[in-house]
Amino acid sequence: MAAVTISAMTKVYPNGVKAIEDLDLGIEDGEFFALLGPSGCGKTTLLRLVAGLETASSGRIAIGGEDVTRRPPGARDVAMVFQDYALYPHMDVADNIAYPLKIKKVAKAARRQQAEETGAHLGLAEVMSRRPAQLSGGQQQRVALSRAVAFEPRVFLFDEPLSNLDARLRMEARTFLKRLHAELRTTTIYVTHDQSEALALADRMAVMDHGVVRQIGTPAEVFHRPANLFVAGFIGSTPMNLLSAVVAGGGLRIGDVAVPVPHGAAGRVRDGEDVVLAARPEYITLRRSPGGDALPCEVTITEDLGTSYLVTAELAGEALRVVVPEGECPEPGDRAWAAVDWSRALLYRQDGGDLIGADAPGVPGTGAASASDSAAPDSAVSDSFGAR
Amino acid sequence: MAATDSPGSPGALRSPGPKGSAGRPARPVNWAVRAVAGRVSFYFFVALVTVFFALPLTWLVLAPFEAHPTFVAGLSQPTLSNFATIFDDPGVLVSLRNSLILALATMVVVVACAAFAAYALSRVRIAGRDIMLYVLLLFSSVVSGSAAMVPLFLLVFDLHLINSLTGVILVLAGGLLPAAIFILKDFMDSVPTSYEESARVFGASPFQILRDIVSPLVRPGLAVIAVWAIVQVWGNFLIPFILLRSSSLTPGAVEIYSFYTSGGSVNLALISTFSLIYTIPVVVMYLFVQKRYGFRFHGGIKR
Repeated sequence: MAAVTISAMTKVYPNGVKAIEDLDLGIEDGEFFALLGPSGCGKTTLLRLVAGLETASSGRIAIGGEDVTRRPPGARDVAMVFQDYALYPHMDVADNIAYPLKIKKVAKAARRQQAEETGAHLGLAEVMSRRPAQLSGGQQQRVALSRAVAFEPRVFLFDEPLSNLDARLRMEARTFLKRLHAELRTTTIYVTHDQSEALALADRMAVMDHGVVRQIGTPAEVFHRPANLFVAGFIGSTPMNLLSAVVAGGGLRIGDVAVPVPHGAAGRVRDGEDVVLAARPEYITLRRSPGGDALPCEVTITEDLGTSYLVTAELAGEALRVVVPEGECPEPGDRAWAAVDWSRALLYRQDGGDLIGADAPGVPGTGAASASDSAAPDSAVSDSFGAR
Repeated sequence: MAATDSPGSPGALRSPGPKGSAGRPARPVNWAVRAVAGRVSFYFFVALVTVFFALPLTWLVLAPFEAHPTFVAGLSQPTLSNFATIFDDPGVLVSLRNSLILALATMVVVVACAAFAAYALSRVRIAGRDIMLYVLLLFSSVVSGSAAMVPLFLLVFDLHLINSLTGVILVLAGGLLPAAIFILKDFMDSVPTSYEESARVFGASPFQILRDIVSPLVRPGLAVIAVWAIVQVWGNFLIPFILLRSSSLTPGAVEIYSFYTSGGSVNLALISTFSLIYTIPVVVMYLFVQKRYGFRFHGGIKR
């Protein structure tokens, strides 16, 4: 186990593509750290740099305090699980798990025993003598995991290990990974493009875009207070509402609708400034009658999500998405009033996309132990749709 | 014409046969005849081709068992005496042994060198790599052979390897390597790099990766190269003929030359018997390799 420190890292490929640009990242000992970003953002390159499969153009990587920047991959004491698992097709499961130990020159009986133990621990006891092609996707994934676990490295590197599983298996494997990490407490760097995986698994996460880290924080921080518009648009299973607004007379205007300033940004905006109002669909309530500072809108589309509805409404020409509880769904064409939870709504500068009031303390949710992307709004339901 | 064939007869309506198709009454008959004729001539052609290739083979299989074989394939006086005569000849067994040594040694050199070279060429990016491979292949197939005989002879002479099996092995292996590398590189290219990357992260050296991971995965390719090298050497006449002097070193392909009478006429009985014996190992090897190393791939990469 060891901390990983990446400093001033830049990676330029021979064809001139800049994959990583002047990146600093500190991953603590025993931490489950997720690298999240869209494809091509450089997250896999960063993982391969830590593994030693790519050489840094400049910058340094330290594992456990030792500078490993110039060390070959085998001398870094890390284990990597690949997206395609890379199980050796000509070896059975036991040999696959034992192969890293063979390279480490562990005696045959000892490595066999270690492979059996690790495999059994990860639920592979029945299939130890099978070839990878005879295994299901979930089993293959666990063999790849066992191979890394049996190696007992200082750092685990996971490159989208769940992306080849179907949805149900992915959930199981996610829980399995979380339990495994709780048990081993080995420093883990986990690359994914799936924000729900990162939120569910990570102790801390970094959101990357075009080779640059856009935000580092706990899943709760990243979910509740995205530092910029890129992160705001990327995190959340139902995308955040991002509405262009103008600051006018101490409030905001979206088209001709007057809107209050979210609590966190109060007193930090100038008149006439172009801003973006951000509110998660889960933190908006749809009402049937006006009241308070609820915003008037018209329902256009409703989508059934099972336990809730995703309602799209039109607010001053912009689309506003709201998650409405089961049985309270309005009809398209209905007039409605959207009550935004102003303590959870955020305001971003149109120019640069940074969060306004990023340093403001006391925002609900940031201290929460875990953030689920299906978190139900805690606002009153008494006057919401369907209640009357 | 059509009008004269079927002058408004009601039968034309009932049977849309030759008469019904006004304008081209004879066409369906023509079509059937042509189809039958086509079939017949096709099978006739196939039979001819089969006979053309089967006859010499039949002769090769039958002639050794014939007391006085002629150019006619048949068994008028069955006998095994030809085999007795052949195995009484001390040169025959020696030549078979020499063929075996040449073939196996060349195969080992070709497979080993081609595996290393192909792996390196497949994984290391160097400028002009593909051009270099093509040029090598071109030179080895165009320039080697009779055109290169004089320089090859001089080279082997200067290396003091004339009249030694080592010299023949090196020249044969050199001639086979470009094509072997070319074929094997394609096999290596098809091995996903994530296999090797995962082994590298665990600390495997390039040699370990080649031995433990890449070689087993390209085993069909290695088998192809090995069989091909053995067959090439087994049948090669020119190079051992030129580079070897003493009869104790000549391989089977050269030994066949000794079954001529001093007058220059061919001893058909002995030449056919030796040819049959000389063919069998290659056929057996082919069947064995086909069974043992048939093309298969186990998967294990999830796409």
